[in-house]
Amino acid sequence: MNFSDSIQKIDRRYIYIILAIVVILPLIFPLGLKTFTTPPVRNLYKTIDAAAGKPNKAVFMDFAQSPSTLPELYPMDIAILRHCFLRNIKVFTISYYPQGAAIIQMAIAEVKEEFPNIRQDVDYCNFGYKAWALRLPITLGMGDNISEAIETNGAGLRLDNLPIMKDIKNYDNIQICVEISGAAPGYIYITYARARFGVNVGIGVTAVSAADFYPYLQTGQLVGILGGLKGAAEYEELVETFAQNGLPYSAEYAENPTLKEEQYDLSKVPYKFKKARIGMDSQAIAHLLIILFIILGNIGYFLDRKNEKKKFIK
Amino acid sequence: MKRQIPLLIVMILGFLFVAHTFIPHTISQDFFDWFIKWSKVIGSFAIVLGVGSLLMVHSNKIKRKAPNWGYSWIVILGLVITSLSGFIWGIEEGTPFMWIFKSVNVPAGATMFSLLAFYIASAAYKAFRARSIEATVLLIAAIIVMLGRVSIGNAISPWIPEITQWILNVPNLAAKRAIQLGVGLGMTATSLKIILGIERTYLGGGK
Repeated sequence: MNFSDSIQKIDRRYIYIILAIVVILPLIFPLGLKTFTTPPVRNLYKTIDAAAGKPNKAVFMDFAQSPSTLPELYPMDIAILRHCFLRNIKVFTISYYPQGAAIIQMAIAEVKEEFPNIRQDVDYCNFGYKAWALRLPITLGMGDNISEAIETNGAGLRLDNLPIMKDIKNYDNIQICVEISGAAPGYIYITYARARFGVNVGIGVTAVSAADFYPYLQTGQLVGILGGLKGAAEYEELVETFAQNGLPYSAEYAENPTLKEEQYDLSKVPYKFKKARIGMDSQAIAHLLIILFIILGNIGYFLDRKNEKKKFIK
Repeated sequence: MKRQIPLLIVMILGFLFVAHTFIPHTISQDFFDWFIKWSKVIGSFAIVLGVGSLLMVHSNKIKRKAPNWGYSWIVILGLVITSLSGFIWGIEEGTPFMWIFKSVNVPAGATMFSLLAFYIASAAYKAFRARSIEATVLLIAAIIVMLGRVSIGNAISPWIPEITQWILNVPNLAAKRAIQLGVGLGMTATSLKIILGIERTYLGGGK
């Protein structure tokens, strides 16, 4: 096998081993690469942040997730919940996936450890698992009356009687519906909640699916997108920069990584709140490795073509 | 009758829902509220159907000793143990249900999805070749987006994330919108065919 062949036909087992090493090492020894934010994430942050301290506004989070997508989506769940708890924003959580209900429990429990004063059914309410078939009637019914459409929370208590529902009636009181999903997030909210009731919609999605949703972003049907681990890392960064420091959102700071660096010391941030940013170190190196492999493969391909041409001329 | 009645239900309800969307009248709203109440009741039965169907499929596999029938036992036992633990001790943090979820379901699911990274790396290395102008454009776009989505891209040049955003916002958006318009038109045509009784394959049973 000549050189061009050998760089074109690297055994995939070597690729797997090198990739595994490249992914694992930055997780153990974080590189501390800077996180820069993008407009779709900043817009989502701004929209949620606009509900800060308003008792008649709430963020509605739909956890359309299963454990397979947790590495990418779970940091988004944590970052948004943390943002809401820091800014005194009411949160509703729901899942039409049986496993999503358990993910809600996990996420709330994890974030609540840092917020002992946050009270269930007062500051947040977990609607729990609802059957998939109820998705359409609930999404439409919330336009008239959330308590009637959903009826009970995850613990089986009637929503009418919960203190959190005092100033909340329908979509007029929902600041944004955020669906975080590994499949096709946002469609039901874009089609029924946005089109019919004008509610804001945002999504969190795995990186492989993110490109599908840009048309909705341009039309304004989506206010923002968290795309994969990068989106989660950006949101973590914004929460750390503004909400954690009690600062209002500032475009100048959000768009300038150099300014943001002075805002906080990442080493002092609890691991659970910087998981995506540490994961992005791994992803950055993995992307470089894949690019390197692609370049190697193409060098081999062009050397082959050159050799074939030479043979043909001879 | 077996085919005419379902066809009639679909046709009548199809037209009623179209009318409801465009006619904001009290009767139309009452009809819709009635539908929501009924669909909640009927929808809940989907769980019973789902569990019943799963048990039937796997118990048949075990009875027939079909290939890999042993895994069917794992499915059934998993279903029974997880459900019982949820019914008996609840599904809150610290319960056996959550322990099963965190110790079995989460690592198993995450492992499956993580394999994607290895397949993508291997597939990109093997398939991304600048064989033609189109393939070269795709290759360059992929490299820019891969760099632009990580911090290293910004470190190389602040233009890389900008170009990445442009690729996603312009050429990607144009292609996706065209596809989605096609899908939308297709869905409208299929819905009309179903409502009008032209498309009947959902009824099953061949001719």
